Amino acid sequence: MNKKIISGFAIAAAATLALGAVATAPANAATKTVKLAYQGPLTGGAAALGQDQIPGAIWAIDQYNRTNPAVKIELVKADAQCDGTVAANIAPGVAADKAIIGVIGTACSGEARNSFPAYKAAGLTMVAPSASAVDLTDRKSKANGFPIFHRVVANDSFQGPALARYAASGVASPKYYLVDDQSPYGAPLIKVDVTPTAKKNGTIVGTDSVAQKTADWSSVVAKIKASGANIVIFGGYDYDAGPFVKALRAGGYTGIFGGGDGINTSDFVKLAGGKTIAEGVRMTAASVPLATLLKPDQLADFTKVTGVKVPGLYAETAWTAANVFIQCIKAGKLTRPAIQVCVNSGSFTAADGSKFKFDRYGDPTTAAAVGGWVVKDGEIIYDKVA
Amino acid sequence: MNFSVLTSQFWSLAFQGLALGLIYSLVSLGYTMVYGVLRLINFANSEVFMVGTFSVLYLQVYILRIPIGDPALHGIKLIAYLALSLIGSMIVCALLAIVVELVAYRRLRARGANRLASLISAIGVSIALLEGFSMITGARGKIAPRLLDKWSFGEVAGANFRIDQVMAIVMPIIIFFLLDQFVTKSRLGKSIRAVSMSEENSKLMGIDINRVITLTFCIGGLTTGAAAFLYTTVYENTVFNVGFNMGIAAFTAAVLGGIGNLRGAFYGGLALGMLEQFASAVLGSQWKSITVFVVLVVILLVKPNGLFGEAVQQTRT
Repeated sequence: MNKKIISGFAIAAAATLALGAVATAPANAATKTVKLAYQGPLTGGAAALGQDQIPGAIWAIDQYNRTNPAVKIELVKADAQCDGTVAANIAPGVAADKAIIGVIGTACSGEARNSFPAYKAAGLTMVAPSASAVDLTDRKSKANGFPIFHRVVANDSFQGPALARYAASGVASPKYYLVDDQSPYGAPLIKVDVTPTAKKNGTIVGTDSVAQKTADWSSVVAKIKASGANIVIFGGYDYDAGPFVKALRAGGYTGIFGGGDGINTSDFVKLAGGKTIAEGVRMTAASVPLATLLKPDQLADFTKVTGVKVPGLYAETAWTAANVFIQCIKAGKLTRPAIQVCVNSGSFTAADGSKFKFDRYGDPTTAAAVGGWVVKDGEIIYDKVA
Repeated sequence: MNFSVLTSQFWSLAFQGLALGLIYSLVSLGYTMVYGVLRLINFANSEVFMVGTFSVLYLQVYILRIPIGDPALHGIKLIAYLALSLIGSMIVCALLAIVVELVAYRRLRARGANRLASLISAIGVSIALLEGFSMITGARGKIAPRLLDKWSFGEVAGANFRIDQVMAIVMPIIIFFLLDQFVTKSRLGKSIRAVSMSEENSKLMGIDINRVITLTFCIGGLTTGAAAFLYTTVYENTVFNVGFNMGIAAFTAAVLGGIGNLRGAFYGGLALGMLEQFASAVLGSQWKSITVFVVLVVILLVKPNGLFGEAVQQTRT
């Protein structure tokens, strides 16, 4: 008797499931959605970096979704605050969402390192718009992201020398003072990538390594003044660079101040205390302004979709990173393993229309040029290739 | 090591160390005063400082409507706005310190709770304030307007006597002098000292213990508020976790000087500020914290009551 009842329930349940599946199949086919995660700083001290670049990804996905594809893309925001500890906490959550088939990110190198364990275990492919530390794609490094990590920017072995050259352009006898913020981004940028070119280009008259979120810069300023430096290069983020340049100017330093893409954000001038203090600060980044690549109607569309009038730094590379996944999704790659194979082996189109692939360890085979920016009248103006 | 910087920048570093150290000293009073009467560390004092910096910033930006990036103020307006910022910060911090005492300490004390319970409740208040301000500000640093032009009284032996740093030296010295007089000579000050010596005997003498403890928190809040004003005026920025490093430094200063001792906090702050400046200059900024804590451990091994603990025992709060 009991067996009959159980059998009856089993048949009824199976029939219900089968009917349900049949009934919902057409609807699912019409509205299939996959998710991409954007991981970067959307709040916290480095929020400007993420807030500047995420519109590029939003616009790329919106452009794709408007073509009424069979598979739509939803963007999920994962705010890691440019902090490795936060990234280590949120990455397992992103990896656990099976609908997420790729990560546009991370924005910061420290975030990337601490996200690797979760994403490698889940086979979740990453394409970073701005994480530029060399070891992320160094085959000899134990911290590399092989085989899931890729990036669409030149790494710091290109940015470092470019920064040393660009900061010294027009200076007859460069005397460098190099300062880093002890972070996974800033320390290698200065110690490994800027230093050799600075030595070749001029004289290094001093170095220092200052903890992040330092308030009192007076001892560093005193040393810089005593050294006779005419170029200060800082490896770190805008929230430290702002107060640092402010302290330098208040202490009477009149030479050049330069930094990498960590300080090249829309918040920098404000953090430095205004345009007078920030005037003339030189910056680099492995990106070009997206606005220079767009036609007026495209720029208007970008603004309409994102609400951002002028695309910020790395909006261009965020668009390219998103487009890598979009091209794979268009090719019918809708699972994590399929995406990984596609990204590792495919050929992709960048925002400037150029074609590129990734090498075995995730760097683009045709490295993007490093651009030089300068602060003029409170605006960060693209100057030239650094 | 860069000893050459000592020859060219010695007085500059000493002057800046003095300014930084005296700001530490003011915050360390919030720890040392409370320790004096309760024998407990007020872990929420670092967040009282943080709230003080934000109160200065919000007062200047939203109430006094001073735009960021505008030229500094001058004349009567400057003096009035500085005074308002100082008073505002001191009032906010004093009120907050009193609330901390009522919430985290008094009820637990009245119920005879374990002393550790008060420590944890103070840490709880501290974390609540920290996370609250993290959410309010989006965890982003905030820039304060420039009230005071960074003009200099002149340069002597390489030291630039900048007005904001001179203020950061003179104001704490005045506050310490007044507080020292208050604690040693006034009736309320004597009550604080009596409670710090023996709570039981103070009760027998008719002293209202709760009133004295609240007053102690209030004084600690006032001095921390003054430090928050000076910090915001000199460095012109703040962030939700600004209290962490300041709290560690101020607590270290209190221990270095001899915790529970007013003059110890003063000298401890001075010693710490100087040590940080010279260690950063000679060894590099990355060695600053290591040097400070190695020196702290060595000093405590030699003098367990702190650097000036025994010499100024009579002024114990």
